[in-house]
Amino acid sequence: MTSQDIVSMREEAAAWIARMDADRWGDSDEDELKAWLDQDERHHGILLQTHAIWISMDGLGACQSHESEGQSTNKDASRRLFLAGGATAMVASLVGGIVWLGSPLRYSTDIGEVRRLTLMDGSIATINTMSRIEVKTASARREIRIDEGEAWLQVAKDPTRPLIVSAGRARALALGTAFSVRKLAQGAEIFVTEGLVKAWPDTAEGAGVRLAAGEGAFIGEDARVVRLTKAAVDRALAWRFGNIDLLGQSLADAAVEFNRYNKRKIIVADPVTGSERLDGTFQFSDPEGFALAVGESLSVPVDLTSTSQIVIGRYSNTADKKSEGYPGAGSLFP
Amino acid sequence: MEQERRTKFAAWVAGEILPYEPKVRSWLKRNRTTPEDVDEVIQEAYCRLAMLKAVDHIDRPEAYFFSLCRNLLLRRLKRARIVPITTIAEIEAASPDTGPSPEREVAGRVDYERLLQLINRLPERCRTIVRLRKVDGWSQKEIALHLATTEKAVEKQIWLGVKAIRAAWDEAEADAERSFQALGSSRGGLA
Repeated sequence: MTSQDIVSMREEAAAWIARMDADRWGDSDEDELKAWLDQDERHHGILLQTHAIWISMDGLGACQSHESEGQSTNKDASRRLFLAGGATAMVASLVGGIVWLGSPLRYSTDIGEVRRLTLMDGSIATINTMSRIEVKTASARREIRIDEGEAWLQVAKDPTRPLIVSAGRARALALGTAFSVRKLAQGAEIFVTEGLVKAWPDTAEGAGVRLAAGEGAFIGEDARVVRLTKAAVDRALAWRFGNIDLLGQSLADAAVEFNRYNKRKIIVADPVTGSERLDGTFQFSDPEGFALAVGESLSVPVDLTSTSQIVIGRYSNTADKKSEGYPGAGSLFP
Repeated sequence: MEQERRTKFAAWVAGEILPYEPKVRSWLKRNRTTPEDVDEVIQEAYCRLAMLKAVDHIDRPEAYFFSLCRNLLLRRLKRARIVPITTIAEIEAASPDTGPSPEREVAGRVDYERLLQLINRLPERCRTIVRLRKVDGWSQKEIALHLATTEKAVEKQIWLGVKAIRAAWDEAEADAERSFQALGSSRGGLA
């Protein structure tokens, strides 16, 4: 193949993309495109790549506003969200969504791993450590089930297909918004970063709450609904940046949080040290650095000799060695 | 309906494959591939992607794309028959580095900075129209009304824009490695 061939194929592909972009695509356009695709197998690949490049430019508005105006995080997130929707705006404007991928998609993450996925509808799911989620898209609705762990979702706007997230008994409904859902043993936490979310316990819709940006709620398996404080939302979502944010949490709770992300577990040897309150932002991938910082500020020993654990504090003769997991620990913020 | 499927598929590729293309390109380059070969392997890989009926079996798109390119490269090298056997062994053993994020998370975006630079280099009229379309999100029809011109004329400028950006996309691979590293080292780019 000569490079001249490639150049002209690319020019033709660009013309097709410009034509699709015009939003008056009809049967005759479709037939002509098919004829062009049939001419050469390589046309398929060139068209796909060019199309993808053009679509990826939908993110430019957010980038621009970020650069020129230095917007607040919230507003910026909303721009990006809008643009994530933009990629599928054309799709949404076409009548009658159909089931494209019938079988559900499953995603999972290992310990310490954070994955970011673009879903078929243009929504973006950022999945936290040790999580399992399932995504189903149908013509009239989108469903995400969180079987384990936590995900932050930037939902592409699509009024014809509401997105419902389930985690245990908890349900959350969104049209175009960004929020996180974390499944815990006793229920699920929902934190909203943008837009509006309706959350309720399954079979008890009347007990539901409407959550705006900056608000959160805990939905118990026992159908209990507890609103969470505004400050908790930012802290709870620090993981998106690889951080654990502490604002007066106990060392024991912080250890539980670090242990979500690392195979090398932090063990707090005595309950007195475990009840110390901490402030600060730490990288979740650096439990050693965290332990040493804690050791220094509380003047307690830190034992790094084992590769599978980090022991903070000194075991007293009577202390129970299982002190790293206080009852009820599991989330920093209910 | 066909068009809807096509657009959804391209949106998936834009989100899941495109951000990793520079990385795969630079890996190909490090493995004694000529620039023409790199282009052809990448092109063929997109062709294979385009032939897929569904993508629900692809759990890690970037790893899938990498394997696709690696296998296409191996096939070329084996056909060439003059490649040292060690090279083939090395390439066969290569696997995509899909280490833990947040680096991966940050890397999993296209380089908007670069795209903006590409737009800025377009001829004036073309630049205005591409910016209205992509940065401000106007439709071609709205742009035509605003500029008091025909939709066909707008489409033509969009064509010129797509063409220029498409060409620059491939040429920019030389500094792709660098920009990729810059992306990787800047944290917290998500919100």
